[in-house]
Formats: sequence, C-alpha cells, structure tokens
Amino acid sequence: MPIKNRFAQTHAEITAWRRHLHQYPELMFDVHETAKFVEEKLRSFGITDITTGIGQTGVVAVIEGKTNTSGRSIGLRADMDALPINEATGLEYASKIAGKMHACGHDGHTAMLLGAAQYLQETRNFDGRCVLIFQPAEEGGGGGNEMVKDGLMDRWSINEVYGMHNMPDYPVGKFAIREGALLAATDQFDIVIQGQGGHAAAPHEAIDTNLAAAHVVVALQSIASRNVDPIKQVVVSVCTLRSDTDSHNVLPQSVKLRGTVRTLDEDVRDLAQARLQDLVTHTAAAYQCRAEIDYERGYPVTVNHAENTVYAADIAEKVVPGVWRDTPPIMAGEDFSYMLNARPGAYMMIGNGDGPTVHHPMYDFNDDAIPAGCSWFAEMVENRLPVA
Amino acid sequence: MKEPKMPVKNRFAELHDDITAWRRDLHEHPEILFETHRTSATVAEKLRAFGCDEVVEGIGRTGVVGVIKGKSTASGKVIGLRADMDALPIHEQTGVEYASKTPNAMHACGHDGHTAMLLGAAQYLAETRNFDGTAVVIFQPAEEGGGGGREMCKDGMMDRWNIQEVYGMHNWPGVPTGKFGIRSGPFFAATDLLDIEIEGLGGHAAKPNETIDTTVVSAHIITALQTIVSRNADPIGSIVVSITSFETSSKAFNVIPQRVNMLGTVRTLSNELRDLAEKRVTEICEGVAKTFGATARVKYTRNYPVMVNHDEQTEFAASVARSVSGDCDEAPLVMGGEDFAFMLEERPGAYILVGNGDTAAVHHPMYNFNDEAIPAGCSWWAGIVEQRMPVMN
Repeated sequence: MPIKNRFAQTHAEITAWRRHLHQYPELMFDVHETAKFVEEKLRSFGITDITTGIGQTGVVAVIEGKTNTSGRSIGLRADMDALPINEATGLEYASKIAGKMHACGHDGHTAMLLGAAQYLQETRNFDGRCVLIFQPAEEGGGGGNEMVKDGLMDRWSINEVYGMHNMPDYPVGKFAIREGALLAATDQFDIVIQGQGGHAAAPHEAIDTNLAAAHVVVALQSIASRNVDPIKQVVVSVCTLRSDTDSHNVLPQSVKLRGTVRTLDEDVRDLAQARLQDLVTHTAAAYQCRAEIDYERGYPVTVNHAENTVYAADIAEKVVPGVWRDTPPIMAGEDFSYMLNARPGAYMMIGNGDGPTVHHPMYDFNDDAIPAGCSWFAEMVENRLPVA
Repeated sequence: MKEPKMPVKNRFAELHDDITAWRRDLHEHPEILFETHRTSATVAEKLRAFGCDEVVEGIGRTGVVGVIKGKSTASGKVIGLRADMDALPIHEQTGVEYASKTPNAMHACGHDGHTAMLLGAAQYLAETRNFDGTAVVIFQPAEEGGGGGREMCKDGMMDRWNIQEVYGMHNWPGVPTGKFGIRSGPFFAATDLLDIEIEGLGGHAAKPNETIDTTVVSAHIITALQTIVSRNADPIGSIVVSITSFETSSKAFNVIPQRVNMLGTVRTLSNELRDLAEKRVTEICEGVAKTFGATARVKYTRNYPVMVNHDEQTEFAASVARSVSGDCDEAPLVMGGEDFAFMLEERPGAYILVGNGDTAAVHHPMYNFNDEAIPAGCSWWAGIVEQRMPVMN
C-alpha cells in the first residue's frame, strides 16, 4: 500500500489547484472565494451532498462508500485560511493580494483533501461514509470550534476525525506524529497597569507604571522557572508593552502589556493562569499601581487519541515507511483541538522538506508532498471503513 | 517468546528476617559521605562469611568490592551489581525502635535497604552459583554529593574486575512496594554546582552612594538567572536553576557588604541544556555585576552527569523485573541526581526503581526504607545475574 498510482496521475492537477489558492489568499472567516472554489471542485468530482456556511464559511461534503453496512463516518479536515503577511517568495504564483499570504500551507492542506476527495468519489472503495471538512479561521479565529458549535459532529454522525499539517525541515512526504499532547493550548492575556502619571522630573509625585510593568515582566519569568514542574512544559511571553505616552518627559498614567501562555496539559494551564493573575496583581500593588487582567483561554491542547494515533501512524507507515512516532510536542496551537475534544482522532504531520518555517514571508508549501498526503487521507478512509 | 516465570525466590523468603535485621542495624548506625567505615567493615565481613571468592576494601576510599564466580565462567561474562552505603546529615524523627543512634545522621534515602538487599543477593548467589560467569558486587560510599561512584571508577574498578555491564537499584516512595519502574535513555538529571562571589564596594548603610551594593547586585542576578529557564531553554526540555544559599560578608544592620556569596544548583537532562546553562549562568552573573560596577566570580562545577540508561540493558532489566513482580512501569524523569551515572558512562547498564510503598519522600526526617521490598529487590538482583549469564545444560 504505497502511494496510490491515481495520485501520480492527478499530482499536476492538484498542484494547479494549490497554486491557484496560493495566489488568492483570504483571512480568517472571510474565505468566501476559497470556499466557493472548494465547493465547485467537489461538484465537478460528482459529489452532491455539500453544505456550505458551517462555522460561518466552512464547507462540509459527504462521499458515500460502495456500501454502508458499518454505519460509520470518518471525518477528514483541512483548513482554508491564510495569514496577514506580505509574501516575499517572488514565485510566479505568489499572492496577488497585498498583505495576505498562504504562509502556513493551508493552500496545500485544502488541495490535498480535494485530491483525496476526487479519488474517493471515483472509487468509493469503502464501507461507510467519508465526511470532508474544510474549515475557515484556523489562524486565531477558532473556525474549528465554530464548526463544532454548529453541530458538525452530530449532524453528520462523525465517529472519528483526522487532520494533517505540513512540517518544514522534515523530509518531504514523510510522516510524524505523537500520541497525547502534540500542540499547545494557546491562551492570551491583556494587562493594563494604572498608576499616576506625571512629570518625569518629579517621579516622587507620580506612580511610575513603566517601572511596575518592568517588574511584572520580570516576575512572570518565575512561572516557568519556579512554579511549573520542570518535567512539564510552559511558555509565558510578554509580547507587547506600550505606555500611554510616547514623550521623553512624561511618566505614563497607564501601561498595556499583551502576551501569550502556552501549555501542554490542563493542570499546568490552570497553574499558569492562577500564578499570572497573582503575580501581576501583587507586583503592581507593590509599586502602588492597580492591574486589570483579561486572561482569555484560546485553543485547547491538541491531544491525539491513543488508539487513533496508532491507526494513523500504521497507515502512514504503509504509505511512506519510516514514520516518526514520537515527534516532540510543538508549543504552537492548532484549533483542530476542538474537533479532537469532540471526537476521537489524530493529527498527522507531513514533511515539507527544507525551507523557511511556517508564518515566514519566504515560506511555500511543497507540492512534492501532495501524493503522500492524498494517499494518507484516502487510506485512512479505506482502512478504517474496509469493504467486507 | 514467553518470559521465564521466576517470581520472588523462596530462598529470599527464608532470608527475609536476616536481611531485615542487617538493614535495621545499618539504619541505627548511619555514616556520611566517605566516612562509611563501620558500614564498609560490616559489608566486607558478611561477604567473606558468604564465601565470596574475593573481597577488596578501600576502592574509592571506603568502597567494597566482592567477587562471586559462577559454577562455570566459560562465558567470560562479568556483571557488576551496585549498592550505595552512605547516609544523610538529617536528624531522624521516625521514632522507630531502630532509629539512628547518631544525631544529625540518618539513612533518609534508603541506602541501608539498598546495601542490605545486595548483601542478601550476594549470600544467595554465593550459595547457589547457578550462573556461567562472574558477579561483582559493588558497595559504594558517598553517593549523596561526594561522587563515591566516580571515585570507584577512578580507582580502575571496571578494568580491574573486567566488568562488562553494570546495574543499580533505588527505592521509590509512592510506588506500590516491590513494584518496579524503569526508563530508557536519560533518567536522572545532571547536577551541577554554582559558586558565585560578587565583589563590590562595602560601606556605611547611610551612604549607599559611596558604595557598590553587592546585595542589590545579587538580587538582580537571582532575578536574571530565572530567564535561563523561562527564555533561553527550549520549553520542551527540562532544566532547573536554583540559588540555594545567599550570604553577605557582613551580618550588621548598618553595613553594606563588600561581598556576597551565593551557592546553587543546575539540573538538566541533556548535555545541550547543560552547556547552555553553564554559558548563560556565567554571562548573566558577569554581565549584571558589570552593570552595577561590581565583579562576579563564577565557579561552575560539573558534578554528576546525566544518568543515561542503555537501551538493551534497560529492556533486559525490565524483563527481569516483570518476571519478579509481574509488570514494570515506565518511570518518570527525575530531576534529582545519581552518581551511578559515572558507572553508566563507563559501562552499559541500567538503573531501576523499586516501589517503597506509601512512605515519606526520600531525604525527609520521617522517611524509612520499607523492608517488605526486600524479597523483590533481592530477586531482581539474582535474576539479573542468572538470566544474563545462564548456565548451559
């Protein structure tokens, strides 16, 4: 069961779809043209059971197998949205839209799932139903969560769900996965420190919010260095720090800080949130300031289910031997986590070869990964829903 | 292949009371670091009484090595089994009748149990000799910070007795008694030592403007050191940087100290993080000190290395553990250090944990080794020798 011959034939066609999508990137939930492209392709394959507007702009389509004695449905998910980045690749199919770019390879994910859909609709060599899920707003909008909230899993009776992401700096088309936590929970915080503004020449008459903010940044380091079990993982980063004045001689009345907390299990997540709130509140108080904290829980931890990870890895092994079954966790987030919280399943990484990392203006999806990626999607359906 | 079923050996049920008595005698007479004179003498005397082929004292200062030849030695194989003998500078609070008779010395890490179990196994192996090769029992001093294992290696132990593989065991509170746990690869942390001296300009506390205040400089250094973990190390890795001791050169209320001395430790589970920590600790101390016009002298001592279990020997050790206790868990990573690491750097081998039941944690004044673990521990030692060097029929 190596790479399917059919994907050698359709490789050029799928590559053309991918490059078309790459030229017309759309952000967040505004993936109208992309969703329309997906819908048109699915119809051209002969798929008729297509629903649009799930999770605002997501697309769901159903391919019936030859038989359905199993009564089971497998969900396959790809993300469609791009990033607010100015592309710098100089490629002939580079983004035609200034300030928008497919810099995370979602163009490739969508094209590969379309390729697999074409094959599965042609062959229907499975016993059950394949549910194709094309989601918007993976990059911060929680499109996956919106689709789940719209009843995706129950409405289409999905039993298991699988997704895939490309992985730069890993050989093209080779697979990597791990059981358990694969990607981090991504929380974010906004802090406003209020003090007493004043003349910079009379600090004793002011309450300096910059100084309090500096102490807050330093104090937050102790969550990782002192509070969390060193065997476990946490990242606390303050990314934005802005005083309400840009002068040389005014002490600001308020300072805003903004940042992110990344964790790989819920206990550490709770601990980090609790410590952040205490450290910020009391450090600010120590410098006679008042802190307002808005801590927002973002994507949950992406947790691959044990049994489904083994299925996913075994099938990947047959497509391209040498699966890395213990790839380290990644502190980035992924909103496929909402789907994995709703149903058992697994998230697979596929090598993108050498090249810039995702979210870089020189990044490009590697079209050579297409046959392996399409084969894995197709084999997941055929092997999880075998014809008797 | 079905694993040979070899539960706790009957002989250890018979010897259980004897071994428990030895353990409790050692518990009453704890000795610190290399000063394990009574313990070493007791061990050597017992090994001779068991009929060991060779007993040598004074390896690694106060370590003891015993040699037990099998029925046959045709295989040419030699396996080392190691226990540690030293106690801790803790004042025992257990109130047990065999509690430490020495103030501020206590077997609070169960080395009394380790030594007794290896003695029990030595007695059995010397009685039965049901193996083809040679067992070398190694009793080391100064595991608790003195590097007794390193000293025994430096004395040429591995070559002198031609040891080819080496195994060790530690009790583990919180795990059911006699149940085993092990993991392949890095297992216990490298434990490096920090010795930092900040030199400024002392003076009157009422005139800070005429001084370079080393207390303030040191406070900034402690804060800055937090960023090695929070900003420099890959969050997927494991590292601890702790300042544990802080001492100003003056004890007065009204003197700004000329000097501050700090002690600390760095724990890592990989050599990459260890190198990173050494580089960053030095840069941070020197850089922050310079910021305030002070100077820093950093002594970074690489103490115990990462203890790395070898894959093949770990799998074998786990199979023996399963044959004794039915199963063997994957043990978690431990940020504590273990100087058996030096022996595992010289020879392939593995370190296993044996459950001590629901007791206080090691290094706690209420801790006590659980004598119920003795038969399982002894059986594992015996199994390592008999199954690794089987007699050919």
